[in-house]
Amino acid sequence: MAEQEPIARAEQELEHHAHAGRYALVWIALLVLTVTTYLAARAPLPGGWHVAVALVIATAKGSLVVLFFMHLWDQRGANRLVFATSLVFVALLVGLTLLDNATRFPLANPPGSAGALPAGGANREPAPEAPR
Amino acid sequence: MSPSSAPVSEVPAYNPRNYLNSPATGLRSWLTTRDHKRIGVMFLVATTFFFAVGGLFAMLIRIELLTPGPTIVDAMTYNRLFTLHGVVMIFLFMIPAIPSGFGNFLLPIMLGARDVAFPRLNLLSFYVYLLGATIALWGMIHGGADTGWTFYTPYSTQTVTKVVPILLGAFILGFSSILTGLNFIVTTHTLRAPGMTWTRMPLFIWSIYATSVIQILATPVLGMTLLLVAIENAFGWGIFDPARGGDPVLFQHFFWFYSHPAVYIMVLPAMAVISEVVCTFSHKNIFGYNAVAYSSLGIAFVGFFTWGHHLFTSGQSAFDAGIFGVLSMFVGIFTAIKVFNWTATLYKGSISFKTPFAYFVGFLFFLVFGGMTGIALATVSLDVHWQDTYFVVAHFHFIMVGATIMAFLAALHYWFPKITGRTYPEGWGLVGATLVILGFNFTFIPQFLLGNEGMPRRYYAYPERFWPLNVASTAGASVLAFGLVLILVYLLVSLRSGPVAGPNPWHSRGFEWFVPSPPPPENWEVTPVITHPPHDYHHAGEAPPGGVEPEPRHAS
Repeated sequence: MAEQEPIARAEQELEHHAHAGRYALVWIALLVLTVTTYLAARAPLPGGWHVAVALVIATAKGSLVVLFFMHLWDQRGANRLVFATSLVFVALLVGLTLLDNATRFPLANPPGSAGALPAGGANREPAPEAPR
Repeated sequence: MSPSSAPVSEVPAYNPRNYLNSPATGLRSWLTTRDHKRIGVMFLVATTFFFAVGGLFAMLIRIELLTPGPTIVDAMTYNRLFTLHGVVMIFLFMIPAIPSGFGNFLLPIMLGARDVAFPRLNLLSFYVYLLGATIALWGMIHGGADTGWTFYTPYSTQTVTKVVPILLGAFILGFSSILTGLNFIVTTHTLRAPGMTWTRMPLFIWSIYATSVIQILATPVLGMTLLLVAIENAFGWGIFDPARGGDPVLFQHFFWFYSHPAVYIMVLPAMAVISEVVCTFSHKNIFGYNAVAYSSLGIAFVGFFTWGHHLFTSGQSAFDAGIFGVLSMFVGIFTAIKVFNWTATLYKGSISFKTPFAYFVGFLFFLVFGGMTGIALATVSLDVHWQDTYFVVAHFHFIMVGATIMAFLAALHYWFPKITGRTYPEGWGLVGATLVILGFNFTFIPQFLLGNEGMPRRYYAYPERFWPLNVASTAGASVLAFGLVLILVYLLVSLRSGPVAGPNPWHSRGFEWFVPSPPPPENWEVTPVITHPPHDYHHAGEAPPGGVEPEPRHAS
C-alpha cells in the first residue's frame, strides 16, 4: 500500500512536465482530422469505404485523446495492456459485425447499404409468364 | 464440525466490536458508510428483495401458463410480466448479487486489506444501483414494457409501452456494475497483503477479478446500445428500424456483445463461490489451482467471441454463424477444466455434507447439464430447430440461473456465520436445498421437452398437446418457490435467534475465516503476512498463512 505513493507522485511529476506545445499540436491534429472526416464524407468513394475511412479517422482521434490528453503516452505496463486489450475488443465487435454484413444473404441487409440489393431488386429476372 | 460448535481459546464466539455495531448503529451510519462490508450487506438486501420481485413475476407467468388459454391475466399483461421477470432477475439480481454483495464483503478481507481501493466510489456504486432500480421500477409501475428483456428492435423502437424508463434504468445500472468492477480490479492490483502473490490469491478473487474485467469492457457497449434504442424510440431516428433505413440485426450484434459476456458476469462469480465451498467442505486444497485460476480468465476472454450464436436464425450470414458456432464451443473447454478440477478436489477429501455442499452438488448438475445443452445449441443446424423455443429457455435457466442461484444460496449459507456471527438450522438448510434443487429440475426439465416438441417461448396461448408438461413445469415452480420462502424464513429467524457461530465454524482454511465473526470494521487487527496459498489443509495443524493466529485476535 505504502509503495503506491511514490509511484503516484512520479506519475504526477511526469504530467506536470508535459509541454503545453504538445497539447496545442494534438488539438490542431484533432481539428484537421475533423475537417478530413467532413471532406471524406463528401468525397466520391466507392461502396462502403465512407464508413471505413470515418472509422479510421475516429480511431486516430480517439487514440490522440487517450494517449496525450489522458496521459497514456506517459504510462507503462498494465495501463498500456488495458488500452491494447480494449482495442482488440473494439476490433472484434466491429470486425465480426461487418463480416456479417459483407457475407449476408443480400435481402437481409438494409436497403441502400453496401451489401444490399439495389432498390426494388433491379437485378432480379422478371418472373416467367405462366403457359396458357 | 457442526456450524454451531463453540470456538476454542479466549476469543469470544461473537465478536463484540464488529462492523454491524461499530462505529455506530443508526440508519444514517449505514447510509453514509464507506465500509465495504456494510455496502456488501446493503447490496445483498437489495438484490434479495429484487430476487423476490422477479420470482413473483415468474410465478405469475407460470400460473398464467397453467392452462392453454387465458388463465389469470390478459395477453398484454403477460408480455409485460415476462419482460419484467427478465429485466429484474438479470439486471437487478443476478448481475450484482454475488460480485457486489459477497464480492464487496469478502474481497478486501481475503486480500488482507482494510477496505477496497475506492471506498467512496463503492458507496456511489450502491446509490447508482438504487437510482437505476428506482427508474426501472417507475417504468414498470407506470405501464411496464412488453419487449422481452432483450429489447429487440424494431419492436422496441415502436412499442407504446414504457420502454424508455426501463432502458434508462438498465443504462444507469450498468454504471454501478462498472464502478464495482473498477474498484475490484484496482483493489486486487494494489491492496494485496504482503506475501500474497497472484498465485496465493483465493480462487474467489480470481473469478471476481475476471468478472470485473468483463464488467468494464462489455458494459459500455450495452449502455451505448440501450441509448441508441431509447433515441430511436423517442426521436424516430433510423438506426435499427429497417423501415427507416436501419438494421435490426445490428442491434442484436451490439446487444449480445454485452449480454453474452454478461452470462459470465453471472456465472463466473458463481464459480468463485463454488471454488471456495468445494475446498472447505472437502477439507482439501483445490486440485489444479493454476488451471482453475487461469480458466476464469479464459472464460472471460473467450466469452467475448461467442455472441453471434444468438443470431443464428436472425438473418446473420451463414459464414459468420459458422465462425461463432465453433468459437462458442471453446467456452466448454474452460468450463470443463473447472468442473474436472472441482470433482478431482473431492477425490480422497473428507467430505462434510452440509447445506453449502448440497448446493455445490446442485450447481455441478445444472452447470454440466446446462453446459452440454449449450454445446448442442451452439451447433448451428440443431439450433435452427430449437431457436426461440422453450428448449432455449430451459437451457439458459439451467446454466445461468440454476448455477447462479445454487452458488448464491451456497454463499448465503457458507458465509452466513461470517456475515452475521450466527448459524442457521442445518436440518432446515438441507430441506430447503432439496426443495430448491428438485423444484428447479421439475420446472425446467419439462421445458426442455416442450421446446424439443416445438413450443415457442414467450407465447401467451398454446395447443392442448403442450398442456401436461406446462402443468408439470408450474408444479415444479411452486415447489421451488416454497423452498425459497422456507429458506428466507429460517434465515430471517436465525438473524435474531440463531446460535452463535464462532469465528470458524466450518474449520475452513480460507483467509476470511481467520478474522472474527462478524469481522471488526478494520477486518484484520494487523496486516497479515501470507506465506501459504489459501485452503492449505496440509498445514492444518500449524498456524495459518503469514503468522495469522489460528483463532483471530479480536479488537476489543
